[in-house]
Amino acid sequence: MVAKNLVNISFTVNGERFNNVNVPSRQHLADYLRSQGFTGTHLGCEQGACGACTIEMDGKAVRSCLVLASQANGTNLKTVEGFDDEMMEKVKQNFLKHNAFQCGFCSPGMLMTTKEILLNKKKLTRDEIRSEISGNYCRCTGYQSIVDAIEECINEIN
Amino acid sequence: MKAADFSYHEVVNLQDAIKIKAQDDEAVILAGGQSLLPALNMRLSSPTCLIDISKISGLNEIKIDGQTLFIGALATHSDVMNNKTVKDNMPCMIDILKMVAHPAIRNKGTHGGSIAYGDPAAELPALAVATNAEIIVSGQNGERSINAKEFYLGLFETAINQDEIVVGIKYPLLKQGQKIVFDEVCRRHGDYAMAGLIANIMGSKNDIKDLKLVFFATGDKPDVADKTARLYLDNGYDYDKLKNSLSSEIDFAGDLNSSSEMKLHLATVLIKKVLSKLEN
Repeated sequence: MVAKNLVNISFTVNGERFNNVNVPSRQHLADYLRSQGFTGTHLGCEQGACGACTIEMDGKAVRSCLVLASQANGTNLKTVEGFDDEMMEKVKQNFLKHNAFQCGFCSPGMLMTTKEILLNKKKLTRDEIRSEISGNYCRCTGYQSIVDAIEECINEIN
Repeated sequence: MKAADFSYHEVVNLQDAIKIKAQDDEAVILAGGQSLLPALNMRLSSPTCLIDISKISGLNEIKIDGQTLFIGALATHSDVMNNKTVKDNMPCMIDILKMVAHPAIRNKGTHGGSIAYGDPAAELPALAVATNAEIIVSGQNGERSINAKEFYLGLFETAINQDEIVVGIKYPLLKQGQKIVFDEVCRRHGDYAMAGLIANIMGSKNDIKDLKLVFFATGDKPDVADKTARLYLDNGYDYDKLKNSLSSEIDFAGDLNSSSEMKLHLATVLIKKVLSKLEN
């Protein structure tokens, strides 16, 4: 990447500290994370429509293609590689059980969105689950298996 | 799908942001970036200088200010949706924000950003016009207030001067008997609308005393249709008459998803759909 303008930033990814790294001003966060080996963050549309690049920034889901790497200065990030707590292990087991991973391209974003659904602690109908994941495209499961998996996760925590 | 190069300035106070913006004609404000970043990534826009104001503290306040609901420019859509003052005083705003993109985008996108960006397909500019909101901007000569209708000049064009930044929006509190009803048509929940309507109504279903119709995703800015509203009040819902009236009042502009003719049809149907939501 040709970069005339560099920005010096510090932040944390999955507990790992990045201090005083130089990022090109025009590079979005998803590209930067992937360049550092966090390739679990997938890129589909790079315009916020597909949801594959959804990560956690300071505890909230964001599209990493719609955040500049420079905007991550001072933040705490979590990517799919860092989804290793008890709740997310259960979510991953449910996704496996219902074959909700299939090709896996949308999975990092789907897992992040599922995490946010579960943290809201609301009991949702299948229609409401579909509405909640409407910001995440899946082109192979037909969504049925993903809704099955999320439904089981919700039932388990409520 | 990568942005062109630009210089990036992270500022922590408003005066610095105003100073940089005033000095550089090309400078663009970056708040949440949820509309700006797609435009940069797709190279629809390639400013040479970005001023990141997202870390300025105190610009995300939400409060009652006299007879208005004040929303600070940097309040995110999620902040607004989860705010008790908004819920108690203007619950319609929460329902309207549910139509704005998806949770992950609402977590980052800001209220002031959506107002200032002036996307003709966005909901908030139409809401600001429909409710007669005032947009507060701050510049080298201090603050001034611009009425929403005068704020939107054309496609992504607003009355903000080069040295000015939107700092908040004041929505007049709803009066007794006043209602905001709305709907939009889009291909997928959360996508930009193919056509949308926000109606500001005084009265009840069978006795509407005053009606203001503001369409979005129809022309180059929020489109106020006063003549069509008058026609509806005089004659009730007549598809052909209202369609004729809308086509003379709004300069419909087609996009990738829908032609101008289709938008005209959808806008006409939306009048019926939206007003049928009124309770007696």
